[in-house]
Amino acid sequence: MKRAGTKALGLWIGLLVLGLIAPWATNDYTLGVVLSICMWIALTQSWIVLSGLTGYISLGHVVFYGIGAYILALLWGAAPLWAVIPLAGLATGAFALLIGFPVLRVRGPYFVILTFGLAELVKFIVINIESGLGQSGRLLFGAPSLEDLYYIMLALALVATALVWITRRSRFGAGLRSIREDEEAAETVGIPVARFKVFAFALSAIIPGMVGATIVMRTNYFQPMDAFSPVVSFTIVTMAIIGGGDDAPGPILGVLFLVLLREALWSSFPEVYMIIVGALLVAFVLFAPDGVHGRIVAWRRRRSA
Amino acid sequence: LESLFAFQLLVAALVTGFLYALVALGLNMIYGTMRLLNIAHGEIVMVGAYVAYWMFTLFHVGPLVSAFLAIALGAAIGVAAYYGVFRAVLRNSRLVARLEANSLLIFFGVSVILQNVAAIAFTANQRGYRYLDTVLEFGSGSILASRLVVLVVSAAACIGLVIFMKRSVMGQAIRALIQNRDAAAIVGVDIDRVQTLSFAIGFGAAALAGALVSMLETITPFMGFPFTIAGFIVIILGGLGNLTGGLIAALLLGVIETYGVALTSSEFRSILIYGVFILVLMWRPQGLFGTRSSAQ
Repeated sequence: MKRAGTKALGLWIGLLVLGLIAPWATNDYTLGVVLSICMWIALTQSWIVLSGLTGYISLGHVVFYGIGAYILALLWGAAPLWAVIPLAGLATGAFALLIGFPVLRVRGPYFVILTFGLAELVKFIVINIESGLGQSGRLLFGAPSLEDLYYIMLALALVATALVWITRRSRFGAGLRSIREDEEAAETVGIPVARFKVFAFALSAIIPGMVGATIVMRTNYFQPMDAFSPVVSFTIVTMAIIGGGDDAPGPILGVLFLVLLREALWSSFPEVYMIIVGALLVAFVLFAPDGVHGRIVAWRRRRSA
Repeated sequence: LESLFAFQLLVAALVTGFLYALVALGLNMIYGTMRLLNIAHGEIVMVGAYVAYWMFTLFHVGPLVSAFLAIALGAAIGVAAYYGVFRAVLRNSRLVARLEANSLLIFFGVSVILQNVAAIAFTANQRGYRYLDTVLEFGSGSILASRLVVLVVSAAACIGLVIFMKRSVMGQAIRALIQNRDAAAIVGVDIDRVQTLSFAIGFGAAALAGALVSMLETITPFMGFPFTIAGFIVIILGGLGNLTGGLIAALLLGVIETYGVALTSSEFRSILIYGVFILVLMWRPQGLFGTRSSAQ
C-alpha cells in the first residue's frame, strides 16, 4: 500500500513538472489544450468542494464563472490585472455567501434544479443589463500572452486541487461529508450544518470566479450567452461523475478524458460530442456511480486482498 | 393601462396557463408515482413541436391532425424510456437510495442528448409556419384563429385528463400510487402497468403541448427548458398529485408571465419565469415533500 502511495506521488510530481515546462515543450495549439485541461480541473475541483463533499449537486456552477468573466470585462482597462482576478474571486465568494443561506435551505433534488434556475436567471439579468447599455458583447484588446494566461490557470488548477485535498482531510471536510450521509443526524450531533454548507458554497465559488476572469482574456471577448452557458455546468458535473468520488484525483481523470474527447470532436462535430457526453453521464450514473477513480480504488483493494 | 384589460391579453394568459398545465401534468404523474424528476420533460415538448412542424411543412398536414402523431410518438418515447432505463433503475436498491438526484442526472443527460440529436437532424435554426393566421373579431376584441384553437384544445385536454384521473379506474390507480405506493401495491394495483401508463400519458401530454406551441411560436432544438421550469413551478405550487391545484397554479403562472411581460417587455420573460421559480422554492424550500406530508 505504501509503495502504491509513493508511486502515485511520483505520478503527480511528474504531471506537475510537465505542466510547468509545457510552454517551452509544446506549440501554441497543445498549450491551449493544456490550458483548457487546467481550466476544467480548477472548475471541477471547486465543484467537488460543495457538491462532491456535501452531496448538494449544483447544476449551476457556471454562474460564478460567468460573473467572474463579467467583472473582468467591466473593469477591463480600468484596473490592473493582478488586482482584478483576485477581486473577481472575492466577488463571487461574497455573492455565494450572500445567497447561500436562502439557497441552501432548499434540499436535495430541489437544490439541484434551483442552482440551474439561478444560473439562468443571472444570465438573463446580465443580458438585459448589457442590452440596456447598448452592448451586445465586449471586445478585450491587449490581453496577456498565452503563456501568462497559462501560468495563471495552472496556478488556479493547483490551488483548487489542494483545496479539495486539504478540505477533505480536515474536520470541516468530515463535517461536510456527514451532511452528505445524513443531514439530520449531522445536525443532531452538533455539526453547524447551515454554516458549514454556506461556507463550503462560498469556498467553491471563489475559484470559478477567477477562472472566468482569466478565460475571458483568452477568448478576448465577453458575451453573456457564452459566459453563462449551461454547457459549462453540464461539463463540470459530467467530468466529476466520470472521474468519481469526493477526492482530488477523481476530477483530474474525468477532465483528461473529456478534454481529449472534446479536442477530437468539438471543432467538426460539436453535437456528436455533446451526445457522447450526455450518454457518458447517463451510463456512469447507472453503471459506475463511483466513477473511474472509484473503480481503480476498488480494483486495487481487491488485488492487494 | 387600459390595454391591460384587453381581451387578447386575457386569452394569451389562458393559453400559456393551459399549456403549462398540460406540461406539468406529466411531470406530476411521473414524479408522483416513481419519484423520478424528469428534467428532460421540456425536450418532449420540443419533439412534439417538430412533429407538427415537419408534418405541416412536408405533407401539409395540419397540426390538429399531426398532434395525434405527436402524442403517439411522445407516449412511445415514454414507454421506451420506462422499459429501457427506469424500470431497472427502480429495481436497483443502490440507485433508489438517491433516486431523485440520480434521476435528475440521468434525465439531464437525456435532455442534452435529445437537444443535440434534434440540432443535428433539424439544425439549430428557428423554424415556424403559418396556420390559421386569420384574425377573428369578437365585439371589442380580436384574436388569432390559431390562438383560439390552441386555447380550446389545451383546455379540453387538461379537463379531459383531470376527469380521466378522477373517474377512470386507471386514473384512480395512478392517484393511489401517488398517495401511498406500498398501500396501493397491497390492495392489488398493478404497479408496473401504472408506471408505464404514467410515462405514456405524461410524455404524450408534453408532446401535445409541443404540437400546440408550434402553432404560436417559432421552435428550436433548445426551446424545452423553460417549459420544464414552468412545469416544476406549477407542481410545487399546486401540490403533488393535486390536479386541480396544478391547473390553478398553471393558470396563475400564465397570468403572471403574460401580464408581467405586458407591463415590461418581452426581454423580461425569462427573468420573470426563473425569478418566480426561485421565489417559489425560497418560499417552499422542502419542495414537494411539504405538501406531501401535510396531505397525509
